[in-house]
Amino acid sequence: MRVNPNPMPDLLAALNQTQLEEQQAELQISTGKSVNEPSDNPAAAALLIENNDQATFTSGYLQSVSAVQGQLSTASSTLAAITSALQQVISLGVEAGGGTLSSSDLAGIANQLQGIQGQIVSLANTAYEGNYIFAGTKTGAAPFVADASAPDGSGVNYVGNTGINEVSIGAGYKTAVSVPGSQLFSAPGNDVFLAVSNLIQAVQTNTGIPAAVNAVSAANSYLSAQTVFYGNAADQATSQTTYLNSAKLQIAQQQNTLGGVDMAAAASNLTQAQTDSQAALAAIGKLSQNNLFDYLT
Amino acid sequence: MSGLFGTLSTALSGLSVSQDEMATTSNNVANANTPGYSREVTDIAAGDPIEEGAIGYGTGVVLQKIESLRDPILQIQIHQATGQNSSLNAALTELQQIQSQFASSSTGIGADISNFFNSLQQLSPDPTSVTLRQGVLTAAGTLATDLNTAAQSLQTQRSDIDQNVVQSVSQVNSLTSQIASVDQQIATLQNAKQGTGTLVDTQNNLIQQLSGLIGVAVIKTDQGISVATANGTALVSGSQSFALSTQLGTNGVQHILSGAQDITNSLTGGSLAGLIQVRDQEIPAISGSLDQLAAGLATNLNAANAMGTDLNGVVGGNIFATPPAGGVGAAATMTVTMTDPSLIAASSDGTVGSNGNLANLSAVATEPLANGQTPINTYADLVSQVGSDTANTSADADSSSLILQQLNDENGSISGVSLDEEASNLIQYQTAYQAAAHVVSTINLLLLDAVNLGMDAAEE
Repeated sequence: MRVNPNPMPDLLAALNQTQLEEQQAELQISTGKSVNEPSDNPAAAALLIENNDQATFTSGYLQSVSAVQGQLSTASSTLAAITSALQQVISLGVEAGGGTLSSSDLAGIANQLQGIQGQIVSLANTAYEGNYIFAGTKTGAAPFVADASAPDGSGVNYVGNTGINEVSIGAGYKTAVSVPGSQLFSAPGNDVFLAVSNLIQAVQTNTGIPAAVNAVSAANSYLSAQTVFYGNAADQATSQTTYLNSAKLQIAQQQNTLGGVDMAAAASNLTQAQTDSQAALAAIGKLSQNNLFDYLT
Repeated sequence: MSGLFGTLSTALSGLSVSQDEMATTSNNVANANTPGYSREVTDIAAGDPIEEGAIGYGTGVVLQKIESLRDPILQIQIHQATGQNSSLNAALTELQQIQSQFASSSTGIGADISNFFNSLQQLSPDPTSVTLRQGVLTAAGTLATDLNTAAQSLQTQRSDIDQNVVQSVSQVNSLTSQIASVDQQIATLQNAKQGTGTLVDTQNNLIQQLSGLIGVAVIKTDQGISVATANGTALVSGSQSFALSTQLGTNGVQHILSGAQDITNSLTGGSLAGLIQVRDQEIPAISGSLDQLAAGLATNLNAANAMGTDLNGVVGGNIFATPPAGGVGAAATMTVTMTDPSLIAASSDGTVGSNGNLANLSAVATEPLANGQTPINTYADLVSQVGSDTANTSADADSSSLILQQLNDENGSISGVSLDEEASNLIQYQTAYQAAAHVVSTINLLLLDAVNLGMDAAEE
């Protein structure tokens, strides 16, 4: 059979193919990615977009958890300070109720108690990054305002609300970040400010001090029970951080599986393509440098 | 008997035919690299003998014709394969340009969507922060800008293709008129019983170029060549060519007309078919997905913002400009109209510190768009579609190139000029010429002897 006397187009096509493979291997090695354009692996390209979405959200949730943790720990330490102030109130009340103190001593204790009352109001008005953390969702203004003529006789008005902000700290996982101040400090029957006000009045008049001390004690116990929320929320945040970090790792691994390059395979592909390319070049170089005309004299 | 002069004439025929053969070889060698050239061979036969009774004397050699070697069926297959290959390659070039826009998973529209919803997530623990609110508007702006860029560059590419279509049609017309004119010359030569080999090569070359632009079906008859598109629109009939024209259609792109008939959608081969496929199907489909994404996001986010109140306690207004009705052009025109970050309606209870409505805004991320998919999945599907269209076209183009290469090899094995073969022929023809010349010279001597036959005797 007669052969095609001009094999050059075939050889050039082969050379072109090997050079293409060489470029692809080089691109994979230089970018470290096996999916450099959607056509390299359309399904993986789509999954990589969803993977990037998950990675973005996981990092976002981690940031949110960290912001929430800041708020929670401020609230926790504030509540601890209030509880310890109330302990002091109780000790002073017990001292005043001992029946051995002079009226001027009692007046001194009453003054001290008023000072602590002011301190508790100020603690209840704690702000984190400019937002009052015990104001419900009315975080723009101090929620507890001293008012001697407050209708309930507590000497303090609550101007916050009962709204609660929730923050997502995982896909479909929301956590409340605060308890409204009204629920913590002004709960009917366990009103901290009312209990302290009543004690001050009892000390000033030296009547019914033990009962007033008991009321403060009850309010303090109630408040301590409420702080459990913050402890739980902080625990949740910590375990969610652990979970999110491991999810992040998994997402990164998935990304690598989907779009990462097997360096050993890519390097061996490159070597193979280079060898093929050299072979094609050599074949073109050697191609029919002679024909019969060269031998005619 | 034929006599010496008869023999001389026989030898001369050998000289003459050998010269013709060498001329043919010379022409083949000269055209060894001419594209589309089919090698020529001489067809020679022994001259009619002169019969004298029972004996027939040969009268030398006669050159019957010089013939170009080609396989017409193979030529038709090559035209078809060329049309197919050009169509795929033209589409592939355009698709590769399209997919480069959607190449990255960590930047671009997909990442913009993720970043936008993440900015809402960041605002959630601290809904009054102006910095974080500004972050939301900035992320929205980046998303809108990237959607604008993608949609606009698709439009630009579409109009570039459109111009290319018009230019290709004018090339088609120029080629068909050349093919017709060559056919006229071939007919004239055929009528004069003259060889048409080179002209047929020229014509084949032109048809080859034509099939690269527009798939063609070729029929050769005694009346001349007939070239039509694959679906039967006549382009050339003998010495007559039929020009195609272009006209702006209602869909904003150029349509191809043969007379009054719109053949735009019936082209199946050549770069025109590939270009039209990308222009009229691929790009509108991708633009449609982007529009759906942009319109869905803008509408849903505006609606979600209206469900809450802003930092001034006022019901939330639009974040994005209202997308055009029906969504067409939504991606190209998507704009963030909200400039004041305090207008993001994060609050669900009217107070400044509430983040309740951010949940409604964030929920848009998982809310299905008109296509039933979430925004990020809509985009991921789009990328996967562009990728697989490109990958499939690329694989088809590769295999069609192999087919074309195979056919060209076969054609080369029939029509290609082999220098070895020509050299060997040349030796043969040269030897034959030398032998014939020797015969002439011998007869010359013999004739001289014959002329001088009586002279010697007279001298004696």
